[in-house]
Amino acid sequence: MAESTTEHHNPHVEVPNEHIGIPGYLGVFALLVVGTILTYYVALMDLDWIFAGANTLVALGIAFTKMTFVMLFFMHVRWSPKLVWMAAVGAFFWLALMFAYTMQDYLTRGTGYFGH
Amino acid sequence: MQDSSFVQLFPEQASTFAWQVDALYGYLILVSLVFSVPIIFAMFYFSIKYREREKYAVPKEIHGSMVLETLWSVIPFFVSMSVFITGAIVYFNQYTPPDDAMEIYVVGKQWMWKFQHQTGQREINDLHVPVGRNVKLVMTTEDVIHSVYIPAFRTKADAVPGRYTYAWFNATKPGKYHLFCTEYCGLNHSGMIGTVYVMEPGDFDNWLSGNSGGETPVQVGKDLFENKLGCASCHAGGPQQRGAKLEGLFNTEVHLVGGGTAIADEDYIRNSILNPASQVVEGYQPIMPTFKGQVTEEQLNGLVAYIKSLSPNAAAAPAPAPAAKKPEEKAPAANKATK
Amino acid sequence: METVGAIEAGSYGTAKLNYLNNGSTLRSWLLTKDHKRIAIMYLISVSVFFLMGGLYAATIRLELLTPASDLLETGTYNKVFTQHGILMVFFFLIPSIPAVLGNFLIPIMIGAKDLALPRINLLSLYIYWIGGAITLWALMQGGVDTGWTFYTPYSTTFSNTYVLAVGVGIFINGFSSILTGVNFLVTIHTMRAPGMTWFRMPLFVWAHYAVSLIFVLGTPVVAITLLLVAIERVAHVGIFDPALGGDPILFQHMFWFYSHPAVYIMVLPGMGIVSELIANFARKRIFGYEFVAFSSIGLAVFGFLVWGHHMFVSGQSMYASLVFSFLTMVVAIPSAIKMFNWTATLYQGSISFDTPMLYGLAFMGLFLIGGFTGLYLGALGLNVHLTDTYFVIGHFHYVMVGGQVIAYLGGLHYWWPKMTGKMYSEFWGRVAAMLIFVGFNLTFFPQLILGYLGMPRRYAAYPPEMQVLNIFSSAGASVLGVGLTMPVFYFIHSLIKGKPAPDNPWLLPGLEWRTSSPPPTENFDKPPVVTWEIYDFGDENGLDLEAARREAATVNA
Repeated sequence: MAESTTEHHNPHVEVPNEHIGIPGYLGVFALLVVGTILTYYVALMDLDWIFAGANTLVALGIAFTKMTFVMLFFMHVRWSPKLVWMAAVGAFFWLALMFAYTMQDYLTRGTGYFGH
Repeated sequence: MQDSSFVQLFPEQASTFAWQVDALYGYLILVSLVFSVPIIFAMFYFSIKYREREKYAVPKEIHGSMVLETLWSVIPFFVSMSVFITGAIVYFNQYTPPDDAMEIYVVGKQWMWKFQHQTGQREINDLHVPVGRNVKLVMTTEDVIHSVYIPAFRTKADAVPGRYTYAWFNATKPGKYHLFCTEYCGLNHSGMIGTVYVMEPGDFDNWLSGNSGGETPVQVGKDLFENKLGCASCHAGGPQQRGAKLEGLFNTEVHLVGGGTAIADEDYIRNSILNPASQVVEGYQPIMPTFKGQVTEEQLNGLVAYIKSLSPNAAAAPAPAPAAKKPEEKAPAANKATK
Repeated sequence: METVGAIEAGSYGTAKLNYLNNGSTLRSWLLTKDHKRIAIMYLISVSVFFLMGGLYAATIRLELLTPASDLLETGTYNKVFTQHGILMVFFFLIPSIPAVLGNFLIPIMIGAKDLALPRINLLSLYIYWIGGAITLWALMQGGVDTGWTFYTPYSTTFSNTYVLAVGVGIFINGFSSILTGVNFLVTIHTMRAPGMTWFRMPLFVWAHYAVSLIFVLGTPVVAITLLLVAIERVAHVGIFDPALGGDPILFQHMFWFYSHPAVYIMVLPGMGIVSELIANFARKRIFGYEFVAFSSIGLAVFGFLVWGHHMFVSGQSMYASLVFSFLTMVVAIPSAIKMFNWTATLYQGSISFDTPMLYGLAFMGLFLIGGFTGLYLGALGLNVHLTDTYFVIGHFHYVMVGGQVIAYLGGLHYWWPKMTGKMYSEFWGRVAAMLIFVGFNLTFFPQLILGYLGMPRRYAAYPPEMQVLNIFSSAGASVLGVGLTMPVFYFIHSLIKGKPAPDNPWLLPGLEWRTSSPPPTENFDKPPVVTWEIYDFGDENGLDLEAARREAATVNA
């Protein structure tokens, strides 16, 4: 690969291509399975006593954690150069922009002064 | 007026804010010329003056100029801000219907426009309005997105399925004007056109009396409410009612189960009829069945008009309740409502 | 004026091994990893789509000659304009400059042997072909009538045409764009030759860097959106259709989140080419190089925050409209900066008017109109009157045809000698450029007037008082059609009978002119080392100007 010249590895990693080894990957996989099971049980609980819509927030939180693990370990972002980090974070920043500017419409609809 | 000349280059000005749109257009043409003419002139002047005189000449290298770059970033910025602000003012006028406007319900349907006056007259593709009156269009559609566009009035607004949108105008000149659907809506999109007839008030009154058609929207709604749909069995008022009291409801703030508030506007009433469980008011059970599929858009308009008529004093602008208060602390029975 | 002036006369028409004669079997083309061959295959493919889209355009203009919908039934007309839009936008405009000229030139311009990911490059071509084939199949089965914008709920619930198949075609095609974008980004970051610093890169490369950002960040969103349309259409999951509990305006947000930046995909590469043309044919370093380079990035980034200006009358909240209009006005500044810098570059230059430069100057004139009409549409109060009328059609054709297509043609003429090793007829080149410029304005300027008059877009029939302007427009379209057909003939003629092109026909300093015409498979005989600044036309750029001048003098005498 062309970018191999710019790649540098974490000094703690012994085998550059395996990063955390098979047990490590299995550990991350186990974590993902636990997350999935947790999502299922949380969906069965009524968390509205905390605040309305808390269920959604908890489910999204679990999903986000799982996704972070996939990116960091399965996709090797943890051992990647800063440029790759920037690209990964940038993508989420962009997604956040899309949500933010879309919600700017939805949250201001209605008969208010600036409603439409 | 349409068909007035062989080649028309500029649309008729026939509403109170048409001149504002045209003035904005004129301002932008001016801005374009002020910037374009010097650029085009410079292009031609440089092209002639600095044309190639010797093959492979080495012209003096110029890297750039901070002063010029700043100037031609900052000046266009201020000009574009002036366009933004004037544009926003005109837009605000175009989309802020006056409180005293006479309301006309508009329902788009592939491929026709259905209008209904508050006095009961119904029209298809034709719209009769008096000159010099504020007219507010309350619009929705039965199927896809349509858009009401009256070029002579310089106004346009999409009619969106599942909710109400609004447009308004005050016609200044009697005549016949085009009405187009400008959101692509399928097979006969270009046939979804109509005519707006702007009439002198006297003529309009004559037209109204000559067309004393069907029931008014309020009558339609009342009939549905009390008889056909049986809404009154829960919503007729009184302390033991399972459904909320609707008198005085329109345009007030209601507190919802699960926190949050909503303004009981047309969209809220409409949504409460079609999706009763989505916005239940504090203190009531979500027991109301949905009426989705049982009422047509026009019947819905009637129900909304009837519920509005139960609040004769409601101004068009909502009366905001203090937002900071918790729903539990504030429970005046008169403000409670459910579907 | 004859354009001779090779520095190495010995390199004319020799049997030297180059990328074109290095293998002639079908297999050597279809399985090539050479970015130049892939670019040539893209060139042929996008030309086919351009031809088809052009035929649809001709049909539209013919139908609009008369006010009634007499040539076509409305249903057919709806399909014709939809397919014109889909083919032109997704299969011509978006891949045109990046996948053809960008693919061919970016590695050469930065002194690399190939793109960083050659197999991915070939894959992107195959994906483009698969997406195109599915779309063409759908068009032959009966086509689609939703407009290229696929607005819901019409596209999800009401249209009885091949929405799904076309959606799949565009969905697949999107991955071709994403792969091209990733490839360019990686190449520009990692493959630059020694001495090729960021600020020695040609502005063409900067523009493609910006475009690649949009490809990578925007295209996935339109893919997701089309997927949601498919899910709603097939499984009736309520996402966009209010009858199922969705919101139709959500579709517009998601669609324009990609499709507004996509408009910049359709003009930024053109701006890159024009920067090259203006600088090289005025023999002047571009005025304010850094400003032009960063204005491309600025357009790419801020272009993502203005999509709501397509929705001022759609039922979006007034607050959102204000914010989007404000940002739209801000995003006008980078375009203005480019325009001023190009003009200033001409100052004290040594300007020659070869065919590519004619396209460059035409672009400046047309983009001036295209850009300013964008300002009209960004002004809220005026937008209410103008949106969804022919003013919008006129505006975006000024940007996309007057911008991208004109720049694409300019670039094609500019680099044709390099790509094919043959010279085309300069005379016919200039005639075609003039015809295209005149025909274009005659076609689209009347549409701006029609728009203010109130003629709605996507109408098969229109009020009779609008006919005269429509006749002007259709007449212009026929001139434009003739102008656009001419290059096909003289380009093909040049391939068969054209004079061999010298390595550096205009004696320009760019790296692409320092290799043979056509270039060898590995682009350079020995890897270049860049020691000169960008757009250096002086005596320190390593070219033997004196010898060339002497030769030019003998030719003229």
